[in-house]
Amino acid sequence: MAKYVMEFSKTGTICYTSHLDVMRMFKRIFKRAGIPLAYSQGFNPHPKMGFAQPLSLGYEATEEYIEFETQTDWDPNELYERVKAIMADGIDMKYCKPLNENIHKSLSALTEAALYTVSVPLNGQTVDDPQKLADDYLAQEKIITLKKQKKKKEQKEVDIKGMIRRLNFSAKGDTLTMRMLLDQGSTSNLSPELVIATVLPFAGLDTDRSEISVTRDKIIFVDGVEI
Amino acid sequence: MVIDKQLDKILKKVEKPARYIGGEVNSVKKDLKDVKVRVGFAFPDMYEIGMSYMGLQILYNILNKTEGVYCERVFAPATDMEDIMRAEGRELFTLETFTPVKEMDILGFTLQYEMSFTNILNMLDLGAIPVKSADRGEEYPVIVAGGPCAYNPEPLAHFIDMFMVGDGEELFPQIALLKAECSTKQEFLQRCAELDGIYVPSFYDVTYNEDGTIKEYVKLYDKAPDRVKRAVIQSLDDAEFPTENIVPFIDTVHDRCVVETFRGCTRGCRFCQAGMIYRPVRERKPETIKGIVKEQLANTGHDELSLLSLSTSDYSRFEDLAMELMGMCKAQNVALSLPSLRLDSFSFKVLDEIQGYRKSGLTFAPEAGSQRLRDIINKNITEENIYSAVEQAIELGWETIKLYFMDGLPGETYEDLEGIAQIAKNIIDINFKIRGRKGGRFRVTVSVSNFVPKAHTPFQWAAQDRPEVLKEKHNFLSERLRMKGVTFNYHETATSNLEAIIARGDRRVGDMIYRAWQLGCKFDAWTEHHKNELWQQAMEETGATLDFYAYRERSYDEILPWEIIDPRIERSFFERENEKAKAGETTHDCRLGCVGCGMNKHVKCFHGADESRLQKIGKEVSSG
Repeated sequence: MAKYVMEFSKTGTICYTSHLDVMRMFKRIFKRAGIPLAYSQGFNPHPKMGFAQPLSLGYEATEEYIEFETQTDWDPNELYERVKAIMADGIDMKYCKPLNENIHKSLSALTEAALYTVSVPLNGQTVDDPQKLADDYLAQEKIITLKKQKKKKEQKEVDIKGMIRRLNFSAKGDTLTMRMLLDQGSTSNLSPELVIATVLPFAGLDTDRSEISVTRDKIIFVDGVEI
Repeated sequence: MVIDKQLDKILKKVEKPARYIGGEVNSVKKDLKDVKVRVGFAFPDMYEIGMSYMGLQILYNILNKTEGVYCERVFAPATDMEDIMRAEGRELFTLETFTPVKEMDILGFTLQYEMSFTNILNMLDLGAIPVKSADRGEEYPVIVAGGPCAYNPEPLAHFIDMFMVGDGEELFPQIALLKAECSTKQEFLQRCAELDGIYVPSFYDVTYNEDGTIKEYVKLYDKAPDRVKRAVIQSLDDAEFPTENIVPFIDTVHDRCVVETFRGCTRGCRFCQAGMIYRPVRERKPETIKGIVKEQLANTGHDELSLLSLSTSDYSRFEDLAMELMGMCKAQNVALSLPSLRLDSFSFKVLDEIQGYRKSGLTFAPEAGSQRLRDIINKNITEENIYSAVEQAIELGWETIKLYFMDGLPGETYEDLEGIAQIAKNIIDINFKIRGRKGGRFRVTVSVSNFVPKAHTPFQWAAQDRPEVLKEKHNFLSERLRMKGVTFNYHETATSNLEAIIARGDRRVGDMIYRAWQLGCKFDAWTEHHKNELWQQAMEETGATLDFYAYRERSYDEILPWEIIDPRIERSFFERENEKAKAGETTHDCRLGCVGCGMNKHVKCFHGADESRLQKIGKEVSSG
């Protein structure tokens, strides 16, 4: 048994596939590539693989990680070449390396934040000082919005202010670019959707959500752990 | 693949956008410079349904292996997508290249069930293509259709330029290549009409008697055949079968490797259209099957394999094949699924092995509740067969038994319906006997569907029950099946009546379909979308009556609308079988000797099968 991690990006139309779709696709890719994964024990064995953090449907991403466990030792480069050769268009494999031996938790358990870039077409609307907008938005005492609860229908009011680690806004041409570092992971998790939904009315912008694109640039692990 | 801004915006607003993006593993990309003929293969339902249909993968593969031909897929967008497409003025496009369907040379629809017909009209309209053939000039693609419902093409005769009837493996690439040689639509249709399996409705005029029955077919083009012989491939073993199946991103109904082991059926159930129109039995050889399995698994990464045929264990070398596939699958962590097994001791051994402790339900299809009625429909299964299989199943740990029946069959009485309840009760009792007074979590599900008489079957002349009669029967069954551990399901009566009109409709029924679509009918196979009141209105406005098309028994003298198609089974065979049904006589499985349907005048029966085993299997089937 040996553990590896691969980095990849996800761009273009394939970003309309969901987290589970991509999970299933990777599982099949490993089979097609002739890379036998280790399986969990029990009544319903599953191959041992997982992403550092689920990516929302419709988002692009530049630096994603998948970790997996193989039945035998491999040359990481061989793994990389085999997977890259048959991967679907839009998912670009970057490299493969053995997972840091000192890591004993899953990557998803180690994830604590992620950096997103949100591009908002202004369609002629103006934002005079984008960074001031970001600062004013964050200077609010509370940032209250509605959040869907797991397994429940009702939405719950939440204050997301404490989950936003950093906001940098800039404008160029007709586009407002919002870079945001947000809590991610099992202890505290904030979706960029909630920030988008609260920033736009705060700024008095009425750009439709369907015109806005979101990219996840980077996943940040606890205490800067090296994977 | 890069898409335009408009589509990108649309995809952000719809549910499951991955239905519309293509680009799946093994989907085909071609350089358009090398393409002479572009074919759109349209499935008139949603992506998840269409991608589970193996016929699409078979023809997609064959067409794309044909040099100069590019086949691309098209599905019916879900209603949320359609609404936005219409609002934004976006035309229906292919998944491979996002090309508007109206730019295809040929646009082909597969006809799997009657309730998808309104979707065909809707898809043409969404593609900015006039719905009626007569309104389409040279600038539009040739609209073709094939599949089981093409055996009665007449209800769609106003909308489809050309039907392909029968096996498509040889015919479809042939017509695709012909398209490149022809400069006009008319020339193309004329040249195609010389081929077996091609029906061009505009080459015939139909006249009617005063009572509404057909008077005659008048040919408008001399060289068109008097009757269109269905296309038949002689050897299934030599027919191309996909090994690089498209692997969908999203979950579909069936998401797995599939190999067709054989085509055709020898049983001769009198209500069953598939059992007639896919004759004769032609088998793929075990070596070929294993080769395909190996390649498919390697090329898709699927973790499930299923076999495709009308009854899995009727394959002449089934036991050897099952054992070998089990070995192959086990070695690769692949689940093997064997549908429609005959439940003998061998099957139980296999099922126990492949399902282990996660046993799915066991399904039986007695179809009728008494031996008398089973003899009428020629369904060769006895209650003793079922009970002994159920006993074994319970002992091996199965807890769910499903039973399929039909109601409204010709010659049915309430005693036969009582028999359905009795069978369910006896199965519950067997469970009590084996597992004690409490019986565990054991469940019996009884599903009853309404008999719909189909074209090209011995029951093609039969009357369908009226809704009030069916409702009374359902009430009776609900009452009788109110037992602990039994679930009873039945089908909507209105849908079954509508299916019956279309299944045996003539060209005039096309007006009803057109009107229903205009009124907003689509996705009629989906209960949540089916709008019965609009169909009623369409019937009234166009004069298509249930009395004439559904409830009326036809006489042997009548010219039936679907007889423009020659299924290569003789009419005398259907008549003989229908008479035997009335007399309650059975016809033996044709592995035990030819029953004279006429098929072997055209094609060799049992091509590719191990003929030394046919008699033995035939006997086993007949004795249970």
